[in-house]
Amino acid sequence: MKQRKFGGWLALLATLFISSVFARDSFAQVAMPRINFDEKTLANGMRVLSAVDHSSPTVAIQVWYHVGSKDDPPGRSGFAHLFEHIMFKATRNMKSEMMDRLTEDVGGFNNAFTNPDVTVYYEVVPSNYLETLLWAEADRLSGLTVDEPNFKSERSVVEEEYRQSYLAPPYGMLEYLIEQQSFTTHPYKRPTIGSIEDLEAASLENVRAFHETFYRPDNATLVVVGDFDPKQLDGWVARYLAPIPKPAIPLPRVNVKEPQRTAERRITHNAPNVPLPAIALSYLAPSQKSPDSEPLQVAATILAQGESSRLYRSLIYEQQVAQSADATPDLREDASVFYFNVVLASGKKPEDVEQALLTEIKKVQDVPVSAAELDKAKNQLVTNELRQRETSNGKALALGSSAVLLGDPNRVNTDLAKLQAVTAADVQRVMKQYFTAANRLVIYYLPEATKTNPTTSSINHMFQLRPTAAIATSIGQRGGQGK
Amino acid sequence: MKTVKPPVCAFVKSGVRPGLALWLLALCLSLPATLRAQAPQATPPPPAAPRSVQFPKPVEKTLANGLRIIVIERSSTPLVTAQLVIKNGGEVDPPELTGLGNMLADLITKGTEKRSATQIAEEVEALGGSLYSSARWDSTRIGVDVMSSKIGPAVDILADVIRRPTFKDEEIERLRQQTLDDITVQLGEPGSIARYVAARVVFGDAPYGQPLAGTPESIARITRDDFMKYHRRWYRPDNAILVVGGDIKASSAFGLAQRYFGDWKKPAEALPPLPAPKPVVSAEPRVVVVDKPDAGQAAVLVARAGINRNDPDYFRGVVANSVLTGYSGRLNQEIRIKRGLSYGAGSQLDTRRSVGPFVASAQTKNQSAAQVAELLLGEVSRLATGPVPDIELNPRKAVVIGNFARNLETNAGLVAQVASLAVYGISFDEINRYIGSVQNITASDVQRFAGSHLDAKATSIIVVGNAKEFLPELRQKYPQVEVIPMAELDLNTALLRKKKQAG
Repeated sequence: MKQRKFGGWLALLATLFISSVFARDSFAQVAMPRINFDEKTLANGMRVLSAVDHSSPTVAIQVWYHVGSKDDPPGRSGFAHLFEHIMFKATRNMKSEMMDRLTEDVGGFNNAFTNPDVTVYYEVVPSNYLETLLWAEADRLSGLTVDEPNFKSERSVVEEEYRQSYLAPPYGMLEYLIEQQSFTTHPYKRPTIGSIEDLEAASLENVRAFHETFYRPDNATLVVVGDFDPKQLDGWVARYLAPIPKPAIPLPRVNVKEPQRTAERRITHNAPNVPLPAIALSYLAPSQKSPDSEPLQVAATILAQGESSRLYRSLIYEQQVAQSADATPDLREDASVFYFNVVLASGKKPEDVEQALLTEIKKVQDVPVSAAELDKAKNQLVTNELRQRETSNGKALALGSSAVLLGDPNRVNTDLAKLQAVTAADVQRVMKQYFTAANRLVIYYLPEATKTNPTTSSINHMFQLRPTAAIATSIGQRGGQGK
Repeated sequence: MKTVKPPVCAFVKSGVRPGLALWLLALCLSLPATLRAQAPQATPPPPAAPRSVQFPKPVEKTLANGLRIIVIERSSTPLVTAQLVIKNGGEVDPPELTGLGNMLADLITKGTEKRSATQIAEEVEALGGSLYSSARWDSTRIGVDVMSSKIGPAVDILADVIRRPTFKDEEIERLRQQTLDDITVQLGEPGSIARYVAARVVFGDAPYGQPLAGTPESIARITRDDFMKYHRRWYRPDNAILVVGGDIKASSAFGLAQRYFGDWKKPAEALPPLPAPKPVVSAEPRVVVVDKPDAGQAAVLVARAGINRNDPDYFRGVVANSVLTGYSGRLNQEIRIKRGLSYGAGSQLDTRRSVGPFVASAQTKNQSAAQVAELLLGEVSRLATGPVPDIELNPRKAVVIGNFARNLETNAGLVAQVASLAVYGISFDEINRYIGSVQNITASDVQRFAGSHLDAKATSIIVVGNAKEFLPELRQKYPQVEVIPMAELDLNTALLRKKKQAG
């Protein structure tokens, strides 16, 4: 019984940040181990979250910067992500790739990712290297000294990342279209990966200005989880991070509101390398901080997680009209998008499959889901969360995400109760409220009649620094090509 | 201070302990004393004293019917993984029915004497878990991953699908269509195509040359009778291992095994012997281009036969490969970090029951495919030309050790690792010896391994992409290049090309 997914790793990565997090005393007869964390804010505005866990003699260090692709400068889509790559080049006291010397060379690893709302850097190292890594994180927060050749070379790497993630896989550009077309006004409409043209236009001056604007202690959250002594940690934080000054200039924030959709919009896109046609539906949804987030996640699980889900059962198993069928609640800080993507079984018509998908959506709107389905979805969500929290890095991701994206680190331990409280009526209500014709974008993704070169364009989502399964490893799933 | 040298990493053993102590944490970053003496802000502070860790020890017993049960207790997270391993995979597929074992692994979850496909999915997902099953090389893995409170009912379902599948015609036809569509999608991805082609190039018509997922032609041929025969022959208790890991007591796990697998009858007929490891076939190296004009990027592979899992050179191979692969490995250094030609380049030494492949690969824009092929081949060859300096070798060993330890951190990783050792008949003591075995490898071991097992002269090149962008450059160097248009690609034979239709 294999998972039938496309866009697998992106969807999973996204899920990491959109799935809410749960506390102990689960209904599922399992105590979700509580994350007992410590929270403090330094005088320079930097927040520090830490949790001791001696189960493995390693430590996970993460720095969350509250800046994402929605903060890309004008005409520079993809810049926040390109910048993330540049953070591994020269700093005041480190030459390029020294982060790898301090992590990989001692048996640890590092990576980073950018999504529309945040940029996160992380390292997992033997615990006796904690002080070393705090020094290194402080150093790159203090300033970059990257030169032109290194900048250009890394920009080429990002362009190859674009090709590998979006041009080479058959449905990469569909993911791109969903992201790009779902928003009309909010900067979320600009893809995280950006466009080749905008990347080519980026300069070292942009790097300097972006660092100065967003990479500051009052825009950063340090998360440390694993095998360490809290007193020592305090001392090292005081020594390396506390002295970094808070700039006087204000921190810019995106205040654009995405307007409500008023009528269904339809797009047909013909692309090269489409082995089987596909369709996607997207609906706008509220910020992930909204209380509707939990019922939306339960709805997505009931609709599309596993072979007993509604869409698998109906579209793939019974009607045999789809090769894969996914539902993704892509929850974000300012406004979310809930989308379905379905690859058609061979010989099927997109119109028919769209109708079959809409019928399944309507069923959840018309009839409350059963108690058994509701319990199943909650069990699935809890089990996913347990898997994520098997490692220190996974725990740190849960903690950082609560603090930075949900605005309260305590939600790492309290959101389970919210999920537990979701009722069939809640699921029905959010399905009726958000899954309307007027709030719908429909994309048909079809093969080209004639062969042409792939278009170069841009895509939105989360981008990792390296093609590794580092996050994947932390949730115990998915292979990867290694770092 | 812009010229900090890469730190040298020394390995320090902090003592010898029995059990599964891992000494990765004893890795020491030694920085020159002059650097340490400077202001703390200018140089990295040195590491503190290392700490050590113990991994839980597997315990095992064998049931009267021959089923081997292995349990690894670890209570840190309330999760349990149970995995039933059949000790054969794609390598026992009959050549004309390639993909049979993998399709069977899918099919057994689609109905038993007690449960329909729908009931199986509903029951296992109601537990919050998922049931996974797939054939790989040398083994087939069917497992569940659930909260510890749900492990009893999960093992009940696991045993049911393994022991009593019904192979209904309706389910076979449904799965056949799905498998064909899955193959269609896979063959849209340059990287997948390149890996399938590489297997044929390295192993020809031998078992490891076959596509594990099958071909459109072989999948169309498989009958219900083929499934029945395959299941009767290989799915039997004396050809299986049950591995249970996580938040469960060994006695409970043994109890569950006895209850759900204890009366699984061993067939009267003898178990077919495992195929003996075959010597390396030194196939003529080839240069193969699959022309896919709509490819948005080219996949570039260099491939050759490597070693088998029980080769005495195993750890030499692991360390040699680590010099090439990983973020700071030579391939990624040259291709990504220095030249910006790819998002990532790496290699894999895939050791199996018989000799498996060694593959180095990267994806790059179509225009730079020929250059990337040269860089891949150049780095693989260079490994045999001189010893790897310690300043480079020691960090690479640290990477191997760190990856090994991290793979054991999750239940799923721990179970997968133990299952692999069991499949290849390797003692669990290897987990304990692993770090020492890696540390003992010297630069001359690596050089000798590269000379005997990674010789570039026996290495083939495979490129899948828009050929007009890179073929002229590639052809200058390799006039023998075979160019196969995507529409003519045939993965059923080592020829790789469809026979011309009459007329």
